[in-house]
Amino acid sequence: MLHEFTKGLLKENPIFIIMLGLCPALAVSTQVVNALGMGAGVIFVLLGSNIFVSLLKDFIPEKIRIPSYIVIIASFVTIVDLVMQAYAPSLSRNLGVFVQLIVVNCIILGRAEAFANKRSLAESILDALGMGIGFTLGLLLISLIREVLGAGTITLFAVGSFDGVIRIPWLSSFPARVIGLATGALMVMGYLKALFNWLETKKEQSRQRDAVRSGL
Amino acid sequence: MKNILVSGGKLFIICAVAAVTLGGINAITEPAIKARKIQELNQALKALTPDAETSATEAVPDNPAIKAFYSVLKGGKTAGYILRIIGNGYSGEMKILARYERDGTIKSVKLMDNLETPGLGKKAEDPRYMEKFLRTGNRSRPVPVRKDMLQSAEADAITGATITFLGIARALAEGAQFVIEGEKKYAP
Repeated sequence: MLHEFTKGLLKENPIFIIMLGLCPALAVSTQVVNALGMGAGVIFVLLGSNIFVSLLKDFIPEKIRIPSYIVIIASFVTIVDLVMQAYAPSLSRNLGVFVQLIVVNCIILGRAEAFANKRSLAESILDALGMGIGFTLGLLLISLIREVLGAGTITLFAVGSFDGVIRIPWLSSFPARVIGLATGALMVMGYLKALFNWLETKKEQSRQRDAVRSGL
Repeated sequence: MKNILVSGGKLFIICAVAAVTLGGINAITEPAIKARKIQELNQALKALTPDAETSATEAVPDNPAIKAFYSVLKGGKTAGYILRIIGNGYSGEMKILARYERDGTIKSVKLMDNLETPGLGKKAEDPRYMEKFLRTGNRSRPVPVRKDMLQSAEADAITGATITFLGIARALAEGAQFVIEGEKKYAP
């Protein structure tokens, strides 16, 4: 059962392996703080939608499942947005735009369709947490590379006298700005995907070698 | 036939439950959101006028960009104006609060509600972003409304968010014009 949680972290990572949710991933990975914000929003909405889709799986007829899921997801996003605006204004200022973007994040609909509508409540909750955290980790990796190379900074939440920005000497004076723009997003994503593919093939090869060896 | 009715009915129930839930949550959160907006506006007004008082708001009815203005009062005399301006950003309206001297010179600017892209256009919320507009807007120094009117370091900083820059610059130029014309019209 715990496998449903851990699979989203690496083995079925939504960004690098399943390749879902790429538009928001590339759009908001300009700064580390944005990646954290988007990740938190996605974990929350994914959890809510997986719970409700799993609970309602016997109620929702096959034919109208997609519109039903969309209504559930959109309601959840709106609730999060309104509650944050009212009671967590500073959080809402940082994440406001991302929260509305989550409606069109295909990871949420993807997990509802591929997982939560067939599985038990507990499994769906674990799946949502694993996939959400996996998405956040992927975003963090992309945004870390993009912000460090593209701006020479690492932006986190401002706390007290610390303004939230770590400036890397030398790099922040001569950043490769292209990495921070859309072109850079696609480049970084491409290289990371290549890296993950390479790791995958290497693992596959060693598995085959082991199989051959044990066959002898 | 029966199938369609059952499916339709169930979808209707889901939508109805969602609508009622959202309506309820909106009813709870709306007053809090409104109060916060007013509080934010007042805080911004205070931040723009640390050295003076502001008059009550006066609406500007038939102007597409300028929604309202306040007079900045120093010792009972009008020392300038604060304008509430709407600019066109990359994704929708940007609310801008700008303080002008009586000759149209921009004294301070604050970007309020906006939907700009985080990491690009959103950088305009940083007070340092507005420095390039300060002390412009009068006859001798117009508001920079094109990239080539900026110094190269400033122009580099807005790369990737040109639309946001243009939206703010045009709104501020419009505001300066409004102040200059208003002064002319009502000057004793």
